[in-house]
Amino acid sequence: MPLALRDLQAAFAAHIVGADRADLVAAVAGDTIPAAARLGVYRHQVFESLGTALAATFPTVQALVGTAFFRGLARAFVRHALPQQPVLAEYGGDFPAFVAGYEAARDLPYLADVARLDWALNVAFQAQLGERLQVTDLSLLPAERLPSTSISWAAGVVLVSSPYPLDRIWEASQPGAASDAVDLNLGGSNLLVLRRSDDAFFVSLSAGEAAFMAALARGMSLEQSAGAAFEADPDFELSTSFARLLAWGAFAALQ
Amino acid sequence: MNPVAGIGLRSPHLAEIGRERPATGFLEIHAENYLAGSPALQAVERLRADYAFSIHAVGLSLGSVDGLDAAHLARVAALVKRLEPAFVSDHLSWSTGGGRYFNDLLPLPYTEEALEVVVGNVGRLQDAMGRQVSIENPSCYLGFAQSTLSEPAFLSELVRRSGCGLLLDPNNIVVTAHNLRLDPRDWLTGLPSAAITEYHLAGHATNDADGEPILIDDHGSRVSDGVWALFAEVVKRFGARPTLIEWDADIPPLGVLLEEAARADGVIETTLAAGDRDAARAA
Repeated sequence: MPLALRDLQAAFAAHIVGADRADLVAAVAGDTIPAAARLGVYRHQVFESLGTALAATFPTVQALVGTAFFRGLARAFVRHALPQQPVLAEYGGDFPAFVAGYEAARDLPYLADVARLDWALNVAFQAQLGERLQVTDLSLLPAERLPSTSISWAAGVVLVSSPYPLDRIWEASQPGAASDAVDLNLGGSNLLVLRRSDDAFFVSLSAGEAAFMAALARGMSLEQSAGAAFEADPDFELSTSFARLLAWGAFAALQ
Repeated sequence: MNPVAGIGLRSPHLAEIGRERPATGFLEIHAENYLAGSPALQAVERLRADYAFSIHAVGLSLGSVDGLDAAHLARVAALVKRLEPAFVSDHLSWSTGGGRYFNDLLPLPYTEEALEVVVGNVGRLQDAMGRQVSIENPSCYLGFAQSTLSEPAFLSELVRRSGCGLLLDPNNIVVTAHNLRLDPRDWLTGLPSAAITEYHLAGHATNDADGEPILIDDHGSRVSDGVWALFAEVVKRFGARPTLIEWDADIPPLGVLLEEAARADGVIETTLAAGDRDAARAA
């Protein structure tokens, strides 16, 4: 009996990511190439193409684990969570959390944080090159109002904090890197990922700068945010750090 | 002769095309790669003054029984509005279901029920775009026993009911015909010539399916001799159309794509010239 289109598409979807569906196999015209093998072409293409998309979004993860291991990891993730829409650059937001729980990667405790960095670089790259706070914007504000003002982050800016030296790990896994050995005892990192005109990049923040940015993101005022920064890092210098962050284009506008 | 054939714009070539501005009939982009605000979109906007564009969507899922994803449709419509391309197209296939996207051109049964679904979705797409959209014949690896129409008959009826255009891909015809034991020249019979807006050409691979060769539309090599021969037959029957060289896997240097496009122009030129000679002899 012919399957209604709704049932056929539901069976096809279930077949692709799960076990063979007998009703679907029976609906396919088979000959010397059996129906199951024909369906297998589609199953293969779905997993391969989405694995390729994940490799493009998480190049540092792939560089660290190698293509064969990455393929297995990607297959497991695709099975766990297919995209919910067709823009593949927006697929994989849950991948870092999946990597954190991936049994076969348990020996690489920093891998999930590397995935978070790759994802942040992807988010920054896809962001609109929007409004950026300028020095002149600050000069227009009466000085007495500055402490109570908050500042929003520029579009695509992401702060990635990790107990591992992510910047060193990232540098060592780039093609042509001088050495791929990284001392994991170098300590943690706070990386601010940003969009610039032709690409995305990251800079390393001090603990105070990271606390400052995090406080601003929570909507706290400049004064409160500076307080949070001093608490995290007694060496925090507001004017120096603020000038650095402003020059990188970390801020969008005064709030 | 000015180039009629164009090439798919792929990110490894973006900088070189921006710098060298090679002569080509047009550039085609995949809609889904340009929906965010990445630098790639700005690069395309800089090229827009010098090249005609085609926007080829791969994820609208026109065969989906669930209908079109309104959010995705709106994003593609906004891109079309922004770039004002010469052509807009997607495929006769489906790729979403139950809120999941499969990133592949999945096959439809060619039935009256499916035809009504596709006619409805294409109508909604054309309404959202405010223009005609062309639908491409897919590469198929299977057919459904319940199909009551051939693929070209389904497409012809889709054109008649929705007013859409046809994007004819001779490579996909060769792949489908081989895999489903059809004759590629028979496949061309009865197509509405006036509705054909564009041709696509690409390479395919041969894989093994339980000990038998199955052709895979991987866009990872030069156009095969068999596809060039069918392309000449297509041009003979339907005439010249803007023709695209697609390459998506193992992308070669830009020069290779331009060579393939020049070859497509050559096939069009010699086929039309031969047609003129035949016509002159007949007169």
